[in-house]
Amino acid sequence: MEQSGKVLMINYEKCTGCRLCELVCSVKHDGISNPMRSRIKVMKWEAEGLYVPMSCQQCQDAPCMKGCPVKAISRNPELNRVEIDYDVCIGCRTCVSVCPFGAMSFNTIDRKVIKCDLCDGDPQCVRFCEVKAVEYVDAGDVSIKKKKAAAHRLSVASKEGAVLYAAQA
Amino acid sequence: MAIDEKKTSAAETLRKTRSFGKVRCHNPSCMGRIQPAPGADHAKCPTCGMEYRLFWVNPTLPRIRGPVWDVNREIAKKTFAGKGGAATLKAESKGGK
Amino acid sequence: MALDRKIAFIDLTNGEIQIKPIPISMRKKYLGGRGLDAYLLYNYSKKGVDPLSPDNPLIVSGGILTATCASATARTHVMAKSPLTGLLGSTNMGGFFAPELAWAGFHHLVIKGKAEKPVYLYIHNGNIEIRDAGKLWGKTTTETQWAIREELGDDEIKSLVIGPAGENLVRFANVMTGIKNSGGRTGMGCVMGSKNLKAIAARGTMDIRIAHAQEAFEYNKRFIDQITSAKVNQTQGALGTPFIWGATNCWGGLRTRNFQFNQLEYADDIEPERLDEIATETVGPHHMTGCFACQVHCRGQYRIPSGPYAGKYDEGPEYTSQGAFGAEPGCTSAVTVLTGNHLVNQFGMDNLETGSMIAWAMELYEAGILTEKETDGLDLRFGNDEALLEMVERICYRKGWLGDTLADGGIPAAEKIGKNAFDYLIQVKGMNNLHSDERATPALALNVATSSRGSDHLRSRPAIDLYHLPEDVLRRIYSNPIPYKGPLSSEHTSYEGKPWMVYWQENCYMAVDCLGICKYHTTFLGATLPNFEDWPKVIYYNTGLEFTSEEIWTIAERCNMIERMFNLREGLARNDLKKGDTLNHRYFDEPCRRGAPDVIGLSIDRGKFNKMLDEFYEYKGLDKNGKPKPATLKRLGLENEPSRSL
Repeated sequence: MEQSGKVLMINYEKCTGCRLCELVCSVKHDGISNPMRSRIKVMKWEAEGLYVPMSCQQCQDAPCMKGCPVKAISRNPELNRVEIDYDVCIGCRTCVSVCPFGAMSFNTIDRKVIKCDLCDGDPQCVRFCEVKAVEYVDAGDVSIKKKKAAAHRLSVASKEGAVLYAAQA
Repeated sequence: MAIDEKKTSAAETLRKTRSFGKVRCHNPSCMGRIQPAPGADHAKCPTCGMEYRLFWVNPTLPRIRGPVWDVNREIAKKTFAGKGGAATLKAESKGGK
Repeated sequence: MALDRKIAFIDLTNGEIQIKPIPISMRKKYLGGRGLDAYLLYNYSKKGVDPLSPDNPLIVSGGILTATCASATARTHVMAKSPLTGLLGSTNMGGFFAPELAWAGFHHLVIKGKAEKPVYLYIHNGNIEIRDAGKLWGKTTTETQWAIREELGDDEIKSLVIGPAGENLVRFANVMTGIKNSGGRTGMGCVMGSKNLKAIAARGTMDIRIAHAQEAFEYNKRFIDQITSAKVNQTQGALGTPFIWGATNCWGGLRTRNFQFNQLEYADDIEPERLDEIATETVGPHHMTGCFACQVHCRGQYRIPSGPYAGKYDEGPEYTSQGAFGAEPGCTSAVTVLTGNHLVNQFGMDNLETGSMIAWAMELYEAGILTEKETDGLDLRFGNDEALLEMVERICYRKGWLGDTLADGGIPAAEKIGKNAFDYLIQVKGMNNLHSDERATPALALNVATSSRGSDHLRSRPAIDLYHLPEDVLRRIYSNPIPYKGPLSSEHTSYEGKPWMVYWQENCYMAVDCLGICKYHTTFLGATLPNFEDWPKVIYYNTGLEFTSEEIWTIAERCNMIERMFNLREGLARNDLKKGDTLNHRYFDEPCRRGAPDVIGLSIDRGKFNKMLDEFYEYKGLDKNGKPKPATLKRLGLENEPSRSL
């Protein structure tokens, strides 16, 4: 089977903080509106207007996978995701405590851990986010996009520098 | 439930009537469509002569930013006098103090 | 389920709290949100109640669709008898409060009584706690919200708060949530202040099960595509509500210098494009933000670029702030608009009313009715930015004779000032208007005259009347769901068919407020946005309740009628200049002097206006005096109100 190299790419600067991603995530997975059930969560610093969506990074060498005492967490190479086998999971929440991103959550109603499953290859947060703060791209392209943005900033800065220099001269 | 999921509402069908790349003159009885050159920052209504400053929301969506004030003021003065308004159109400073 | 959200009756005097379900029969009659609020206000207040007494119920609610899988279900509605107008007090705001309240288990709160000391409510997963707010009293709106989060140790808490203006009983004080989401109109913050209620904090993680989740999910996508594809929403998503400025100031629909003019010339510095540049410079290229689950993202972010408040972060400014701190006081500085906006947000004061009151005082000052004695030496001339900003603070803290006087609202202030000050006050039912000039637009004039909460654009404004849509397009929109066969005109300066348009919009906006969604998601600024035809689907998929478009229309008529009944009970009379459906004499007597050539010279024709009003009453089922006919009450099932059945 073909292996997907796609990942969620989050550009927090574009996020408007509307939390539609949280809503559609919880409705898609559980048929219920409740942000506590969402696998993606927008972290906010309202006093300065900063919004950062946080979700699972689908780590190559995932701490949750390593830390799971019953080996309920594994990598699925076809979808390039880390997934939980709920038949094996004992709900000890070790994964929650070891995840460096806080991306493993605990659903206090169903009493189970939850994480992003990339909607089996069609992430709904991406589909609904009109400003494209969340995109689904090839893992290799993430750095290309960032390189290009940084290069653009550099070129603008050097042009401005040249103008300043000319003005002084 | 008698909900026809496929049925489109009037609002949805009206989407077809949207026109892009144009603005409409803001003179009420004119409302002529003006098609500015892509990226242009000024436009003159070919029908009534009003002149506008433009802004582009995106490359297909121009909007009128405001009138060209000096032209606007001239037209307003003439119209006001023509309509028998007070000969003294109360002069207002250009805003601020 | 959305339908199992509860209603709570809270008495602050004795601390009693009663929690009840909301019967389906009430949902079928009033849906929720503003409609059910109106029922509650009419039923649980006594005739002639003093708005600042413990007996005035303060009702806070979300709509029936709040926090469901529909678009922009962010709106919070607040209702009480207004301390500004003595009639219906009603205000609606975006943000994140109502969804959090719904996840905490509630759709409606009815708050009565008065706490002995400052308190706030903490609502958490079905529980309501009254907590001491001694440490919060005196804090600004954002300080209060962050302090509550700190005290309760939860960053996800969303609060509805008042600022110093509400504490000082400024009659047009806001209730606010977030940085700038304001329930500004009719002084609901003043009512909160009178109850010693500083804030309502909510936090919830209770499930709202979607009745038909898969269908709701896919339909939501279709609904959102419909919204985001509209040119008007794309523009709004780039420039925020200030985008309206471009057209209105161009053709001459902008109330300038307290209604002396209808255009603010050479005001390039406060044009939306300029404000957008400042936001880009101070915040960055992505400076638009949104309310809950909304893809329009019309709220700007900015930092004040210079002046005494340089560097302060705030949100907005909205179109209303451009008017309040620009057109009305005749100021043309972006820094003034952004600073004024920041001050009213922090104080918790209605920007629109504040700006209008100061502009009114400025005209009185220039006319010699107010002198330096009353202004305590302040040179309150039009275009004096410093005096404008100083007055904002004086009103909030009731400083000086004039600050204290203006804080009491237009009509009491006019009485206190005396002479012919009232003649200059551009108000309807005691509330000032948005800075829009309706002298060239009869439909809009009828809208402000008849709005149930006093002069207002969000109750029945047929804004698409300004777009000159072809008549057949207009007819398709305005014949839905009730066929309309009368005349219609694409011309916005015409009187033809406008009463029906206003009547249709009144019902449309009421339905939207009952659903709890935003007006930018219906036929307000865009002609191609969803309305009656689209709502049965979204309600059914999300709640399982079945309605036809006609039924939703009737519910809206019913809710509007109960608001009218409340107003009539509290003294509304057709031609009463202070409590009626009529306009300041300037609308009729002083023609427009600026703007597009075809607007110059126009004013509202008194005879034609009265004919429009007759026709409007006819559609509503009112008699010539504006009172409901018995047959209308019977048709709407209101003949036995008040029924007190909750």
